[in-house]
Parts: sequence; structure tokens; C-alpha cells
Amino acid sequence: MGSTVLTMSSAPPAPAAALVSRARRGEADAREELAQKSGDAAYVFALQLTRQPETAKDIAQESVVRFFRALDRFDEGQAVEPWLFSIVRNQVRDHARRETVRRHQSLDAWLEAGGQQAADSEAVDPAVAAERHELQQRVWRAISELSESHREIVALRDYHDLSYREIAAVLSIPEGTVMSRLHAARENLRQILRNER
Amino acid sequence: MNQPQHGFDEALISGYLDRELTQAEAQRVRLHLEDCAECRATATELAQLKEATMSSEFKIPDDGWDETPRGGASHLLRNAGLLVGLAWIVGMTMWLIWELANDPEALIGLLLVGGFLVSAGLILASVIIDRRRAMKNDKYTKVQK
Repeated sequence: MGSTVLTMSSAPPAPAAALVSRARRGEADAREELAQKSGDAAYVFALQLTRQPETAKDIAQESVVRFFRALDRFDEGQAVEPWLFSIVRNQVRDHARRETVRRHQSLDAWLEAGGQQAADSEAVDPAVAAERHELQQRVWRAISELSESHREIVALRDYHDLSYREIAAVLSIPEGTVMSRLHAARENLRQILRNER
Repeated sequence: MNQPQHGFDEALISGYLDRELTQAEAQRVRLHLEDCAECRATATELAQLKEATMSSEFKIPDDGWDETPRGGASHLLRNAGLLVGLAWIVGMTMWLIWELANDPEALIGLLLVGGFLVSAGLILASVIIDRRRAMKNDKYTKVQK
């Protein structure tokens, strides 16, 4: 167990607080970079929650607009990601309320468009890379079958690499609840994968 | 729910994998994993799932993101352009019909100009259809709350 090596997260790099500060001062290149980074991170999280690339794109764009609109209120002592992901999460919920979400209908499209790819660069053996890629596809397919609350907590921790404290802030739940909910989500994930064998 | 028969809180395994436990808690989990094959297997499996999740990559759209929604002036100019284009096509078509009715010999010239007009009209129509569809799904109108 102790020998299991966890690789670095492949999540899009989160915008740094320093970048937000520069953007707040009106530096054009900082605003552009911030829009790009926040949009990319928002898109992936929205895709993980909605499983629909087009919807995720709309939600990410809305989230970027709101993110910039609230830029002046950002506390520079805080991490950017929890704030951004809270906006995305609210947008996903608003979207679900506005529209009848056709669950699973676009799952194939998401898997194709999402195109989970193995981080092959460091894998020397093609067979190992292929096996890893297959596992990633199976895992994300299983994640898409989790309940919304389990899906979002797994995405926030295992993909976006947020701490328990940050997850608690995004989900508005006590920090103590994060670990138990996350573990329940992982257990469900494990069960789904076992059942498909 | 996370309390198996041996009284160990399995949720601690997740906390351990995430390095979110205190030193004392982590030590407790380490000791338990040494003794309990079932929890050790769980931990190994969860670590593999976590690794597969975190190393996945998602394709991100290339179009980029706007920090502000498109302004009213831009909308106005675009719609005005579409209206002028539409009026031009209608006007030219009517003129062509008029010319053809009065001078049937000008047919070849009219066909050349007419072909261009029809293709321009089709392109304009597709733009209008796209605009109508975009307006239906325009989220920016709902962003302001």
C-alpha cells in the first residue's frame, strides 16, 4: 500500500492569487490569462458535473463572466479555486433548474469529446499506457454514474486536488463531513466498477 | 456506514490517502493497515482509482473565454448589418425580376448576377438561423441578477 505512487493532477493549472491581483489592477495581459485559466478550470469542472460538453462550455463562459464581475470582492488571502468552483457549481445548479437535464443522453458525446487520455508522456511501455488509459476511461464512466453530490466531491478532490477545507468551502458543508462523504463516494465508485466486471 | 465489523472507521483510509489526517490518526491507520488485509486491499484499490482519476486529461475547447459578455453596441451593429444585407438581397432580386421581364435578352448576365445573389442569400440565411438559435440559448441575458 505504501508503495503506491500518486502522480500529479492533470487538472488545468488554477489561476494564482497574484494573477488575480494583477487583473484587478487592470493589467490587460493578466486579465486575458486569468480569463483563459479560469475558463479552462471552470469548463473541466462543469463537464465533470454535467457530462455534456456544450452545456459545460456555456456554464464555463457564464462562470468566467461572473468571476470577473466579482473580482473586486475577492479576498487575496484566499485560494482562487474554491471561489471559482463555487461559481461553477451554482451555475450548474441554475442550469439544471432552468432546463430538464437529459441525464446520460450525452454520455457518449462527453466521453468522446472529453477524451480522457493517459498521461502517456512518462509511460515508456505502450502496453502500460494503454492499460492505464482504459482504466481512466472506466473510472470516469463510473464517476458519471455517481450521484451529483458524490460526483462533485470526487472531482474536486481527486481531479482538481482541492484540500478538505477548500472542498468544504465550495460545497458549503462542515469540514468534518468531507472525509466521510468522499469515502462513501469512492466506495460507490469501487462498487460500480466491480459490478461492471 | 463506514464502520466495518472490526470497529475501524474506514473513512480514515480516504483521509490517509489524501494526507488530511493528523500525525496520530495517520499512524493509527498505518498500524491498522499492517494488520488488516481487507482494509489494506481497500486502500490499494482506492489509491489506484484516485491515481486514474487525477492523471486523466480532458480536451478543452480552443475558442477561449470572454471576461465580459458581448456588448450591446456589438449586437446592434451585427443585427443592423444583417438587416441591410437582407434588404439588399431582396431589392436586387426584385430588380433582376424586373429586368428579366423587360429585357429577356439579358438572361445570361442575369443568371450570373442571380447565381451570386442566391449563394449570398443562402449564406445570409444560415447566419440568420444561427443567430436565432444563439438568441434562444443566450445565457448572458440571465447572468445579470
